[in-house]
Amino acid sequence: MSEPNKSIGQAINRVDGLLKVTGAASYATDYVLKNTAHAVIFKSTIAAGKITDIETTEAEKAPGVLAVITHKNAPKLNEKGGIRGGALLQSPTIEWYGQHIGLVVAETFEQARYATRLIKVSYEKAEPKVDFTKHQKEAVLPKGNPDAVRGDVDTAFRNAEFKIEAIYETPIEHHHPMETHSTVAVWEGEKVTLYNGSQIVNGAQAAAASTLGIETEKVRIVTPFIGGGFGSKGGQWANLVLTAIAARAVNRPVKLALTRQQMFNSVGLRQKNHQKIRLAATKDGKLTALAHETSTHCAMSNEFVEPCGDCSKVMYEVPNSLISYRVVPMNIIIPTYTRGPGKSTGSFALESAIDELAYQLKMDPIQFRLKNEPAKDPSNGKPWSSRTTVQCLQEGAKAFGWEKRKIEPRQNQQGEYLIGYGVACGTYPARQQNSSAIVRLTRKGNDVKATIELAASDLGTGTNTIIAQTASDALGLAVNKITVKIGDSTLPPAAGSVGSVGAASFCNAVNDACEKITNELISKSSKQFFVRPTAAHLMVSENLTKFETRADAKAPADAGSYSSHSFNANFAEVWVNSQTGMVKVHRFLAVTGAGKILNPKTARSQIIGGNVWGIGMALTEESVLDPRWGNFVTRSLADYHVPSNLDIGTIDTIFIDEKDTIPNKLGVKGIGEVGIVGVAGAVANAIFNATGKRVRDLPITPDKLL
Amino acid sequence: MRPFKYSSTTNVKAATHLLMANPRAKFLAGGTNILDLMKEDVERPDELVDITRLALALVKPVTEGVNKGGISIGGLGKNTETANHPLIRQNFPLITQAILAGASAQIRNMATNGGNLNQRTRCPYFYEVSMPCNKREPGSGCGALQGINRMHAVFGWSESCVAVHPSDMCVALVALDAVVKVQGSNGQTRSIPFADYHRLPGDTPQKDNNLAHGEMVTSIEIPKNNFANKSYYLKVRDRASYAFALVSVAAAIEMSGNQIKQARVAMGGVAHKPWRAYEAEKFLAGKEATETNFRQAAEMEMKQAKPLEHNKYKIELGTRAIVLALTKAMNGGKAG
Repeated sequence: MSEPNKSIGQAINRVDGLLKVTGAASYATDYVLKNTAHAVIFKSTIAAGKITDIETTEAEKAPGVLAVITHKNAPKLNEKGGIRGGALLQSPTIEWYGQHIGLVVAETFEQARYATRLIKVSYEKAEPKVDFTKHQKEAVLPKGNPDAVRGDVDTAFRNAEFKIEAIYETPIEHHHPMETHSTVAVWEGEKVTLYNGSQIVNGAQAAAASTLGIETEKVRIVTPFIGGGFGSKGGQWANLVLTAIAARAVNRPVKLALTRQQMFNSVGLRQKNHQKIRLAATKDGKLTALAHETSTHCAMSNEFVEPCGDCSKVMYEVPNSLISYRVVPMNIIIPTYTRGPGKSTGSFALESAIDELAYQLKMDPIQFRLKNEPAKDPSNGKPWSSRTTVQCLQEGAKAFGWEKRKIEPRQNQQGEYLIGYGVACGTYPARQQNSSAIVRLTRKGNDVKATIELAASDLGTGTNTIIAQTASDALGLAVNKITVKIGDSTLPPAAGSVGSVGAASFCNAVNDACEKITNELISKSSKQFFVRPTAAHLMVSENLTKFETRADAKAPADAGSYSSHSFNANFAEVWVNSQTGMVKVHRFLAVTGAGKILNPKTARSQIIGGNVWGIGMALTEESVLDPRWGNFVTRSLADYHVPSNLDIGTIDTIFIDEKDTIPNKLGVKGIGEVGIVGVAGAVANAIFNATGKRVRDLPITPDKLL
Repeated sequence: MRPFKYSSTTNVKAATHLLMANPRAKFLAGGTNILDLMKEDVERPDELVDITRLALALVKPVTEGVNKGGISIGGLGKNTETANHPLIRQNFPLITQAILAGASAQIRNMATNGGNLNQRTRCPYFYEVSMPCNKREPGSGCGALQGINRMHAVFGWSESCVAVHPSDMCVALVALDAVVKVQGSNGQTRSIPFADYHRLPGDTPQKDNNLAHGEMVTSIEIPKNNFANKSYYLKVRDRASYAFALVSVAAAIEMSGNQIKQARVAMGGVAHKPWRAYEAEKFLAGKEATETNFRQAAEMEMKQAKPLEHNKYKIELGTRAIVLALTKAMNGGKAG
């Protein structure tokens, strides 16, 4: 038996790639169960008020219809059970346009959808609060988000020679994973199995059980493949539980998939942010004051705030600082975690302001940043476990050809195009969360195989692959000898694929389990070893056919004494049509320091994905509400514009070679979020460099550049 | 969607008869718009007459009638095939450019030429059945008039409708004085000049065009012209592909010496119909092809525009787009 080459750090193909490209990978609605009925949700057409009547008789008589469920006949559910945003058909109250108000279950999807159109709803309308601009002045301090104050910002700002004060605005955005939120529910006696794309498997299980009012063990979540989530499948939404009650009502398996149009007001959104920045510096470019004050909207019943000031807390050395939030409850669906929550939108404001002040100082924006590099985390005084901002900027500048950039805008023109370069930095915290894993070894002859089990999730990012690579190295087995079982709540509990904790949490748990099984095999053996043997060797030498163990992993004890983050620097070259205002991101480079990169191929894909969304944030993406009624007028992917291939030229990624085992044993920092942080800022800064126009409200559509 | 009857036929006469027999029937060709609208409950036909098997897909020279010497494109020809047909690429690169600027490759592969003419507006208030819309439900009001109307009309709108026609191809066709050939259930055919095919909303915005129920677009004739070397389709949009026009311009120029013999300018994304910029054209005839003249022509055209709350930018954008399209046409802009 020969030792396989080390797998971690190798750009191997996805272990589930074949399943995906052949369509054999099963996503939630691919679970075709015998006798499945189909549910379609119907929604409110007002944003505030209450339902006075729902007339369902005609729908109930429509062909194929099995049940119509509304607040009038829905079973009692626990509204505090962990379903985000409610809409559980428990009352006639309407808090946003497009709130779920019922569902139809029928033999086929089309029969159910048709029947929803036969339902007549009467409302008592209230005046909806949907226009943020109008209600912004009512914003108040949200619970649990006190102002973070250091020094005296007002005085420092007032006395500064070089300063800017500006408002940066980001619009409502939606996650829009390719797989819309979908559930298949099947009951067996008192137990229910829910096939559902869930970023946090155990979280979905707990929320469903608590909301349904049954024991946790009676709910099983199955979610081996997820068609993207970007945060929208981190929280659990009503569809998970409504499918379960529909299945119980008709005593058959039920499938429910939201339509794309329903995605706009069913599963959260990235809120609109109004960010006021005050930034001041001395003549030689040392920052003296930074205030980052965000006001935004929240749901009527929940004060979730996107932490737009997070980057401002840690990116620069500045003695006087204020980070604050104000929120106003509105009749808009609850905001939720959206890729790079707060950091992506907040860094747009911060990094634009840095660029504006650098221009005022006539200083290169990279040099300006380097002058304000903090030696330790300015927000808490903790030492960095490692920090790569300087390397990211310097290596990026070299690779990108930054020296060709002119400080003055409009200096680079080709035909009708104005060309500009921009840079912006980003960061995201690195954490390891508790996760458990089981490793099971089997042997036939010299052929040793392993199965790894944990309730992790794979959003499509490559979790299955990096777990197999981790186990491969830790057990001394080739990747193809390893079977990864994830996405099932009956497996050992694990963290979620959220907040960039997935890779660190899952892989350290798997590594611990593999090391533990090796240790147990060594202590079982009567032999003396001078070189640590692999588990694979031991299974053969000890003549074992089966062996298994479980590890419960958590972050290193002293991880909390340090500040651990991924960092990046983003470089954009834009071509702006001087006549039409259309912008093309001709080249983009993301340089990322994220600790150990487990698989450079899947990591690169993930960074590129983040970059594309960041470019969308800069240029195209916006969900627009009608301020009179609260409905989204951008109601499909034809209206909600994600960038197309033609909008973006080349994207390059560089990973800084970084070894930092403080946050976790494997030195994995996570890349899920950081890929989008700083991107919009880099693009906006490049547009300024190209045109001399500073656009502070995203997205930068052609009309804003005329 | 609502239950409907599906019928299929292989000849025009039978198809038009089926439609005449049922006032709630609609033709099904490429299906790229009608199926979406049915899923959204906007269109509610109780019968679809599948006409995809009708032999109306050819691109061929016109051998008789007033457009003799021009090219005819079949009502059921696919947008992609039409755009890439050598007769179209050689003679009317403007049409090729316009078609390829529209939708996505997948949609163009399915969508037909007749369907492109008859597609409906993408106004979100039209699509959202809980919103008022006079086009969808006459008398219910116009949601966009006082609403989010960034994408809406600046020319020819009425209080009852401010929607725009979404097509790119039609902008080129109206610029080139195409003629729509239609056939009714009585077997009679008629020719409708392209500029008269689509309608302004007036107080009947539910009628997009002048096609009668039971009539079918059998072909579109494009008369011979001398624009092939000096034409350009410019589309300004929120992203470079798969987005409707904020403003688009089809420009074509025929020179006589250093003077413009005739210019054609048409605009998309600005009106309920593909908008022919006659003011600009009139001004340019007999002038030199200079940027100053282009700008003056553009300003004369855009002076008639009446913007809404959120689309004032279309005045400046429209002006610049006309100038840029004419400039590129002069430079011999080629099909993509």
